[in-house]
Amino acid sequence: MSVSITVTVNGITYPLDVDPHASLLHTVRDQVGLTGAKEGCDDSECGACMMLVDGRPTNACSYLAVQADGARVITVEGLAEQDGAGERLSALQRAMLSRGGVQCGFCTPGMLISATALLERTPHPSEDEIRVALSGNLCRCTGYDGIVKAVAAVADGTA
Amino acid sequence: MTVTDRVEQVFIRPDGKEKVTGAGRYTADLNLTGQAHAAFRFADHPHARITRIDTATARAMPGVFAVITHVDVPEIRYGGMVSDRHLFAHDVVRWEGDVVAAVAARTPELARAAAAAIEVDYEVLDPLPDFVANAEPGAPLVHADWQSYGGSRSMGRDGNILGRSTIVKGDADAAMATADVVVRGTYRADASQGAPIEPRAVIAQWTGDKVTVWTSTQVPFAARDGVAHTLGIPQSAVRVIVPLLGGGFGSKCDFHFEGHIAALARAARRPVKLVFSRREEFIAPDHRREGMLIELETGVMRDGRIVARRGRLTLDGGAYCGEGGFFAQMAAMHACGPYVLENVNVESRLVYSTNQPSASVRAPTAPQTCWALEQHMDAIAAAIGLDGAELRRRTLIEAGAVGPAGQVFGEVGAKQALEAALELIGYDDYLRGELPDDEAIGIACGWWPSMASPSGAYVKLNGDGTGVIITGAQECGSGAVMGLPLLAAAELGMRPEDFTLHYQDTDSGPWDMGASGSQTTFNNGRAVIEAAREVRAQLLELASQQLEIDAAELELADGVVRAAGSPDVAVSIADLAGSGTPLLGKGSGELPENPPGETSSCVGVLGMETFLAPQLITHAARVKVDRQTGVVRVMEFAAAHDSGVILNRIGADGQVYGGVLMGIGQALSEATWFDEQGRQRNPGLLDYKLQTASDAPPIHIRWIEIDTPNAGPRGSKGVGEPPSVPTPGAIANGIAKVIGRPVHELPMTAERVWSVAVDSLGLEWIDTSGKDPSA
Amino acid sequence: MSGRTYTQAGSVADAVAAMAAGARPVAGGTDLVVGARHGKSPLPQAMVGIHRIPGLDSIEVDPNGAIRIGALVSHAAILDSPLLAEQAPGLLDASAIVGSHATRANGTLGGNVMNASPAMDTGAPLLCLGAQAVLTGSSGTRRLGLDELWISPGRTAASADELLEAIELPAPSGAGARGSAYVRLQYRRQMEIAVVGAAAVVRLSADGGRVADAAVAITAVTPVIVRVSAAEACLVGADLSGGGEELEAALQAAGRAAAWAATPISDVRASLGYRTQMVAVMTRRAAAAAIARARGQQVRVPASDWSVVR
Repeated sequence: MSVSITVTVNGITYPLDVDPHASLLHTVRDQVGLTGAKEGCDDSECGACMMLVDGRPTNACSYLAVQADGARVITVEGLAEQDGAGERLSALQRAMLSRGGVQCGFCTPGMLISATALLERTPHPSEDEIRVALSGNLCRCTGYDGIVKAVAAVADGTA
Repeated sequence: MTVTDRVEQVFIRPDGKEKVTGAGRYTADLNLTGQAHAAFRFADHPHARITRIDTATARAMPGVFAVITHVDVPEIRYGGMVSDRHLFAHDVVRWEGDVVAAVAARTPELARAAAAAIEVDYEVLDPLPDFVANAEPGAPLVHADWQSYGGSRSMGRDGNILGRSTIVKGDADAAMATADVVVRGTYRADASQGAPIEPRAVIAQWTGDKVTVWTSTQVPFAARDGVAHTLGIPQSAVRVIVPLLGGGFGSKCDFHFEGHIAALARAARRPVKLVFSRREEFIAPDHRREGMLIELETGVMRDGRIVARRGRLTLDGGAYCGEGGFFAQMAAMHACGPYVLENVNVESRLVYSTNQPSASVRAPTAPQTCWALEQHMDAIAAAIGLDGAELRRRTLIEAGAVGPAGQVFGEVGAKQALEAALELIGYDDYLRGELPDDEAIGIACGWWPSMASPSGAYVKLNGDGTGVIITGAQECGSGAVMGLPLLAAAELGMRPEDFTLHYQDTDSGPWDMGASGSQTTFNNGRAVIEAAREVRAQLLELASQQLEIDAAELELADGVVRAAGSPDVAVSIADLAGSGTPLLGKGSGELPENPPGETSSCVGVLGMETFLAPQLITHAARVKVDRQTGVVRVMEFAAAHDSGVILNRIGADGQVYGGVLMGIGQALSEATWFDEQGRQRNPGLLDYKLQTASDAPPIHIRWIEIDTPNAGPRGSKGVGEPPSVPTPGAIANGIAKVIGRPVHELPMTAERVWSVAVDSLGLEWIDTSGKDPSA
Repeated sequence: MSGRTYTQAGSVADAVAAMAAGARPVAGGTDLVVGARHGKSPLPQAMVGIHRIPGLDSIEVDPNGAIRIGALVSHAAILDSPLLAEQAPGLLDASAIVGSHATRANGTLGGNVMNASPAMDTGAPLLCLGAQAVLTGSSGTRRLGLDELWISPGRTAASADELLEAIELPAPSGAGARGSAYVRLQYRRQMEIAVVGAAAVVRLSADGGRVADAAVAITAVTPVIVRVSAAEACLVGADLSGGGEELEAALQAAGRAAAWAATPISDVRASLGYRTQMVAVMTRRAAAAAIARARGQQVRVPASDWSVVR
């Protein structure tokens, strides 16, 4: 039987009926309609599905939607600010582009969420702390160089 | 063009914003009204004869729209250079990923359940996973009917030998006998994977007699042509659209599942969507990097002169040819390497097995072959008492050198790349002994050709003076297509951001070979420039009329057409574009020809025997080896590349960072291991180990920007594949220096490194086979 | 979908009642859901969410000096605890390398322990620290040593209605400085599962001159994580003065003893032979790091990070 839950995604509250086995990832992609978070492996190995759940970086593919009842979820779509002129990219998003942190872009949503979680917890991480925090997000394109530089630039205010 | 004529500013890729906001749509993000979901029934045995298929139970399941097998599609064989397979297995399954049937159902779960409910009976056959044994005369055949297959005549096919190529120069046997020293080595490389983070997805929808296929392919035209061919319909009845592509690394080259899903959508009479799980992404594509056995023998004089190279390469082609038919010759060239070799005799064989088929993965055949050759080069250097860098300094090609198949090289940056990499990594300090005992620096050199291919583009201007580039080229993430506005803008005196790109659609862009072969800038760049030049001529003509100045005295710059020398006499491109005259250019450009060679003694000549505008590379790796466990970490890396003139630095650097890390993975942690039956043992990202951010070393990059004969647009060559080529070799040579002996198996896993170190370092071996002394 | 149920427990009593009715507890879900994805065992039909039960997410010292780690304490919280950094750095060594930072943010110590995997990173240090599982069920609360709790791979001695409330680390007994460490063989620095691991906890003599007490446990090479008394015996009494030769000999002997105790398998991650030899290496390193910490020397957390410049 399905379970009724209420989840706040990027500031908007959604009442949802979910299968107890449904993942948060499929629920957000199929029911909420936000496809920024990706499914790359379905077993917490690649990080492409990463969301913040009550501030915690979470592999949404392996997190049950029912457990997110009452939680505040942030996806990549919640990172840019909206104003009258449209979306304004965050410093981290801008730095990812200017430092070459984006190629195919499939890992990018999860990578941005991981980096956001890191910077909220540790505003001035060392390079090694950045690398460790991003290790659950596999990227096949960039060698992580531009991504690490982007996070470092945000941390030291040069983004 | 000269080396100074290039873009230095940071270029933000046009698809960047949609990628960082999550708005960008990849194939799996799309849904069509009424769509069904697809699942495949894969072969239940790696090698078996199908005796019965009964789909009745599956068809009767509620929510199942269609179940199809080989009887539901035309009996048409397909394949890159050899037509050796069908969409659905007919009588024999030849690897675990062979598709037997496909299901369309209301949900993915239901589709999978119905696929499992199809009854398939088999007569199990002996698997033939040992590709080296399969190359022996009289070995059981993977394809009993191989002679009846259509295919390239120049491949030298014979039974299980899918392709055989030789590179022959002079008399290697005679020269070997005259050498001061002869060095031999045997090397084994395991299979590996492209492993893009996006598992592939395909959606097909029919409208009347036409099918539109959204698919995660690197090669939309090959996908379109494959659908048309296998379903027996005209190419005009197939439109392929590629949404954002989540990486490919070669593995999404070639026609794969678009035909199955198009056929399924026709049978289901609704749109059908296929999304692979990660496990399927490992097992099902007929596309992975080939395992190899590499045997090398080199005769060298005491001064380092290489008088003879003999080699025998055996490559695992897997069950079907796919688009990998050229591998034998490509591998043979990499067994020669960018060195002056006086005499050569290299034989290379691509062999069928009942393993997953091999096909292009980033620089196909090169990283493994280079890994073997560069360890062999270090062994040669040691044998004559030279430092490895010095041997390479003496033997790398330069202008005027004659290649292994008779090519006479023009200007190449091989030696400059060597010196640059040595400087970047601090090689002199290392030679002075300034590293700890558990660290060493290994170096390796490699090369990769530029690929000439037909290509086309349109450039049109809008009424406000902005423009659209319409191209058949495909973007795989590398940014090659994203960089095309730089070229058009430079021709037209406009800004790159004035252009949008229309690509990803076979019904609008001209034919292109796709995101493969590091050739998008080389070929499609040429086409875009040609198209922009047509627009330029149109603009000059219009401006000439308006300004009443001869077109020859006009120039385009800063968004205006102006009199050379009198910048105030000008008309804006926006005004000209808004005047109502269509401004539309098309172009292909003149296709460069491969350099001539001397191939009268070679067989299996497929066009790889000479290298057009070759890219030259030296990599240097500082490695640290945990000598008690064999775990290796790459601490620092230097990459020096002659890729011609670099047009977009941030994009080119990105290829090196990513390619080197992929190479580190291939060197240390990435392999597809097959069991004795030929089934993959590690089809997941926990045990197929991509390098993580915390494993990645700092990478120093130097571009050797020299003017190259036959280079592409504005002096460029290619940048996508070369960064993967010498990386495993450089790491291997570093490891060997730390543990005192080379590791001749790839990847050089911790256990393999440790196994060598047990002997070379005399590590303790605790024998626990007897009685526990503490018991 | 029919038959699948999920309820949210607001208290331990809620959870126990649901479990008594057949529901399986889910906390962070990192082991349970990923295990189902890997085909280990399907997700349970009936589940009870325990992640919001108040009071199970704190780390406290009771009046006897025992450290009580709530079952819902995450690996990230363990890493943030100055108390555990001081008293049980070996546990931090383990928590620091569990999965990724997302796994550490969501994965709980209780889930890890109750998963009873022979490869769990936190298991060996907890075992060496003498940890006890505090289980509450319909018939009350009991304490079980981890060696009694883990029965076989994936199975515990807890009954179906018993919820793990906390892990208790007993107060250190005896004079002398203590140190602990956990080291695993890892091919990558993160995102690994233990192929071979070892933990050691040592107490030095009051004068710091020798090893007075030692506990050693090995990971991923036996059906459940076990202590190796023969290795412990090699370490006890080791003289730390002088040039270190005696310590080195003790470490070597302990490593050999641990290798003898291992009964590893061969699989895609490593062969039996390699695993056996690596048991000795990891045991030596864990013991050396524990002793170094006991002597007040800095050993980076995680101790497995051998290649990072300190």
